Amino acid sequence: MNRTVTMNLSGIIFHIEEDAYDKLNNYLSTIKGYFKNSEGCDEIMSDIESRIAEMLQGKVSNIKQAVLMSDVESVIAVMGKPEDFASEGISASNEPKNNENESWNSNSGNKKRRVFRDPDDKIVGGVCSGIANYFDFDPLWLRAAFAISFFVFGTGLLLYIILLIIIPKAKTTAEKLEMRGEKVDINNIKKAVNEEFEEFKTRMKDFGNEVKSPENKQRMRSSAQKVVDLFGDVFHNIIRALGKIVAFFLVFIGIALMVGLLATLFGRGTISIFNTPGSNIHFSLYELSSAVLPTDLPIQFLVIGLILFLGIPLLSMIYGGIKFLFQIKQKNRIVKYTANILWLTGVVLLVYVGIQLGSDFAEEATTKQNIEISQPHASTLYLDLKPMAEDDLDVTYHHHRRIRLGDWTMISKDENKFRLGYPVLNIVAGTTDNFELIAVKSANGYNKKEATDRARNINYSIVQVDSTIKFNSYFDIESADKLRAQDLKLVLKVPVNKVLFLSKRMEKLIFDIDNVNDALDSDMVNRKWVMTKQGLECIDCKGLENVSKR
Amino acid sequence: MNIENTKAQMKKGVLEFCILSVLSNGDQYPNEIINKMKEAKLIVVEGTLYPLLMRLKNDGLLSYRWEESTSGPPRKYYKLTPLGKKVLKELGTTWNELVDAVNKTTQQ
Repeated sequence: MNRTVTMNLSGIIFHIEEDAYDKLNNYLSTIKGYFKNSEGCDEIMSDIESRIAEMLQGKVSNIKQAVLMSDVESVIAVMGKPEDFASEGISASNEPKNNENESWNSNSGNKKRRVFRDPDDKIVGGVCSGIANYFDFDPLWLRAAFAISFFVFGTGLLLYIILLIIIPKAKTTAEKLEMRGEKVDINNIKKAVNEEFEEFKTRMKDFGNEVKSPENKQRMRSSAQKVVDLFGDVFHNIIRALGKIVAFFLVFIGIALMVGLLATLFGRGTISIFNTPGSNIHFSLYELSSAVLPTDLPIQFLVIGLILFLGIPLLSMIYGGIKFLFQIKQKNRIVKYTANILWLTGVVLLVYVGIQLGSDFAEEATTKQNIEISQPHASTLYLDLKPMAEDDLDVTYHHHRRIRLGDWTMISKDENKFRLGYPVLNIVAGTTDNFELIAVKSANGYNKKEATDRARNINYSIVQVDSTIKFNSYFDIESADKLRAQDLKLVLKVPVNKVLFLSKRMEKLIFDIDNVNDALDSDMVNRKWVMTKQGLECIDCKGLENVSKR
Repeated sequence: MNIENTKAQMKKGVLEFCILSVLSNGDQYPNEIINKMKEAKLIVVEGTLYPLLMRLKNDGLLSYRWEESTSGPPRKYYKLTPLGKKVLKELGTTWNELVDAVNKTTQQ
């Protein structure tokens, strides 16, 4: 009693005994290897397969349903072995005829497995069943994994398409057999290693004999050549193994980055920026770009541009890695050109977005506004600073998200978004008898008008309690406004002979204020200053001269 | 000297001529061509024929059409193209000249 397997040869189904199947499998693979380099290889194979199918059909009947070993042997005898083809004068390949080691007999039990898509067992393209065949497991698991991964930002879909393009379909029966080939399991790897080792030993022995025998110089030279070849082979194999490891990591990293990219662009994924120790700040690309991109520029331009610009190189990485891993040699020009064109499209889109964005910064405008302050009862005005923006908004790091874009900070608390900038204060001599506070607001825009409107939209306020002005440490921008280099400079005009007191916190607000003492900003706080005709002069600065007059 | 190799070389050129001659009697499918060639002991195994047919087809000497078979897979029926007919004629002339020449030289 023998087990049979089912085989599809040229579209006809045969029940064939297992050992007979193996024999036929090897036979076809060998022929295929023989014609590999000749034109029309696939067609020759399918002709031969259909002839074999015809012959086998004559050998089965309703009574004798299975194809036996003897049937296969007789078919092979009629068909002839590849060497016979050659001996009858048809050498299909241009290879030299002395590669007899690789021919039928020695090759029979040792056929390498290759990856093909399985057209006989497919749901979509036979990718899963093909890979499952290669690694010898149930395709169901792979299918399930792919199905699930389709929902992970479509990553699985992309990977599937890549595999569909790279992995060739098993067209001829020989390819189908090659697809199943010899199992890639531990035993076979061990066997392969052993064979390799035996061959190495034989070659070393041959080499030793050749060296020992008193041959002429010619022979010596050829054996020297053999040593070079031998080490060349060993080296080649090591490089290949390393290459496979690198290829694996390329694929792995490529997929990981791809997931990250797609998650960022499509999902709830966010860009994490670690600008405050201990707090990750999460804003999605959409939130960020809505703050920056011009309103009439669809976000899709940016998203598609980014996908193409970053995604195509990642895909190429995965593609190349898989090709190297599975030793797929086929070159697909269309894929290459498409990839190049798509990448260039991405570049063009990003450049377009950049130009659009840039033109929105074309003009700068400045407006000046007086901020009402009441004059102090005495001649001294006290300047103080309210707590920092984050403290003022009464949010903690657990409840808010904050990001700095240049000089701005975006804070998101619950549904509210705050875009904040930080003003600076200068103190100059006044021309009138009153303290005056002027806000110099500036912003950029496509044209002057837009820029001016945007500058006016900057909100800033102070609080005055008696003789103390409490400055806000930040200004904020209307949430409808884009971030366009909004800036706020405060100028406090101090009449001559009037006195100022700067609190310690004011250090954060003042910037490079001219004074008679040449004191640095950090030395100016916590002190009283009087405005003289020469400029600000410190009143209670004993010992400061040593610090500042250098 | 490798006598087998010389024999093979001799056969090689003749085979293509013979295939073309067989097909000049009408369209045939490989099995029929093979049977005729086997009868004449020109070839021993069938596998030889397929690459030859392929080469002749690629060179534009043959064309084929598919025909359904009652017992098995569809068959390829091969046919001489006009170019094939021309080549066959030329080869025939060359062959006759060659036979004459060979006879003259060997029978002296």
